[in-house]
Amino acid sequence: MTGAFLLRRLAAMALQFVLITFLTWALFYLLAAKTGANPATRIAGKAASPEEVARVAHELGTDRPYYVQYARFLWGVLHLDFGYSYLQRRPVTDIVLPAAGTTASVVIGGAVLWLLIGFAVGTIGALRPRSLPDRLSIVIALLGVSIPVFWLAPMASYFFAYEPTQGTFLGVPLGSAFHIFPIDGYVNLREHPLAWAHHLLLPWLVFALGTGGIYARYFRSLTLEQLAQGYVRTARAKGASTRRVLLRHVQPNTAPVIVTLLGADVGVALAGTFFVEKVFGLPGLGYVGLQAIRSLDYPLTAGVIAFAAIVAVLANSIVDIVHGLLDPRIREAPL
Amino acid sequence: MAALGFLVALVLAAGAGAPIAAHWTGHGPNEQIDAAVGADGVPIGPLGRAFKADSVTPNPHGDVFVLGADTIGRDMLVRLLYGARVSLIVAVGATGISLLAGVIFGLAAGWFGGLTDAVISRAVEAGMAFPALLLAIGVAVVLGPGLVNVLVIIALFTWYYPARIVRGEVLRIRSSTLVEAARSIGATDARILRRHVLPQVTAPLVVYATTVIAGNIMFEAGLSYLGVGVPPPTASWGQMLSDSIDSGLFFTAPFLAIVPGFALVLTMLAFNVFGDGVREALYGDAT
Repeated sequence: MTGAFLLRRLAAMALQFVLITFLTWALFYLLAAKTGANPATRIAGKAASPEEVARVAHELGTDRPYYVQYARFLWGVLHLDFGYSYLQRRPVTDIVLPAAGTTASVVIGGAVLWLLIGFAVGTIGALRPRSLPDRLSIVIALLGVSIPVFWLAPMASYFFAYEPTQGTFLGVPLGSAFHIFPIDGYVNLREHPLAWAHHLLLPWLVFALGTGGIYARYFRSLTLEQLAQGYVRTARAKGASTRRVLLRHVQPNTAPVIVTLLGADVGVALAGTFFVEKVFGLPGLGYVGLQAIRSLDYPLTAGVIAFAAIVAVLANSIVDIVHGLLDPRIREAPL
Repeated sequence: MAALGFLVALVLAAGAGAPIAAHWTGHGPNEQIDAAVGADGVPIGPLGRAFKADSVTPNPHGDVFVLGADTIGRDMLVRLLYGARVSLIVAVGATGISLLAGVIFGLAAGWFGGLTDAVISRAVEAGMAFPALLLAIGVAVVLGPGLVNVLVIIALFTWYYPARIVRGEVLRIRSSTLVEAARSIGATDARILRRHVLPQVTAPLVVYATTVIAGNIMFEAGLSYLGVGVPPPTASWGQMLSDSIDSGLFFTAPFLAIVPGFALVLTMLAFNVFGDGVREALYGDAT
């Protein structure tokens, strides 16, 4: 049974991988070459003769049949080779991997924060449903999903990282803000861990607020569901404290669901950080991808998107497999 | 109730309020008034006054910029109201197209099963695995900017959610005695789908639609913010935001980012509260 489950899940993952690479290739190699400039013409330059263009096309392989081109793209991706950037004239992988490190810093730090926020707020709400803190947490969750990151991020950088000199609103001069955080930039973790955290704290907060609100609601409803179970009453009857009931009895039952949600959301977040990256000037995947899209650097664009999608699929599949190994009900359910 | 009131007010403001405001202030939505931007490049703030260079007779209402002027001297209030039109068109249009596609694919997958189901389900899974916004930006660049393209792109990256909901419901209904009974009296597939299956799918779809509208408005604002959504000079909130933020002018004139930002947040909040209300009304308080 376990073997069959693993096999089925891995097959689904392989299929998703093929679909993702195909769609990315079709969009940025096939369609882009039809609508925009031909890659060979772009690389050879404006003054190139037709013979030179043909030679470049041959080197790039764009004169081959489409199925060969796709097979080569797929083969490359399997070896972490996404081709060459038109603009930067170096392997896409050399650009994507460092950027992925920056994005991972933002996403992982943000995920830790949103889990902490979600757990704290959600548990308080579940212990005292309809109390003032619970209602407040619902309002915060609602605000979290209603405030666009691309607005929150500049607002946060204005109020916490920039000292307004002549800012006025409706004629009222805005009070001096707190210049606590650096306005932008990224410091490598290995070079200076403290500066790394200092530079990322504001992006993390901005990034975690919305998702933290959603997770507070997940935690609240999951904990409420568990608190109504018989085993909680038994534990309480034996004299276990609220703290012990929550940590030793309820938490192990909510954790697998949260981990599954986290697997999906971290994957989505990987590509959703680019507003944060853009505003705070963090050279991550979204930042690089956005620049690539704007400068019509299709191999780099395709590389960033394929890379992010593959990581998302991997994260999802790993979480699903772990979840399935832990919980036989998932394993035996139809996929 | 307050949320519903706000949404009604928003529709009225976008439909009737926009031309009224344009008439009252005498400023067209895309009209640049040079005097509204100071010599230092900072536009005048809310309730500031600036006269058109070519105006022979002054406007009886005093050429006031109620919400200030934008980076190139256009009236923020008028642009805000015209921008609301874009947001509402996206709210209705993109959600509608996405639901329609979702219902068609979901019905087909759930009802026919087999190969159809396998193909559609794998497509749904692949769609959910993709980093939607980043890919949407890529598609938007390849397709070019435009309101219709924005609608199509949003639908393209959201149809799989309703499709999955509909498929699940159809699978449940297909094996019910209700369908068996209908079949036994000789009803055709088309009749069963139309008369028995679709009505049962409506409630979860309505709930889904009301919760996703806010997300779709944010999607459009995000695309326009990045310059691949609704093309200028058409006013849209995302683009008003990016104008002020990318130019860095919002640091000196924060109202430039605060005004469209608040409009966006209030609209999202109203749709989210409204969606929660609809869900509670249909399913009770399931938290």
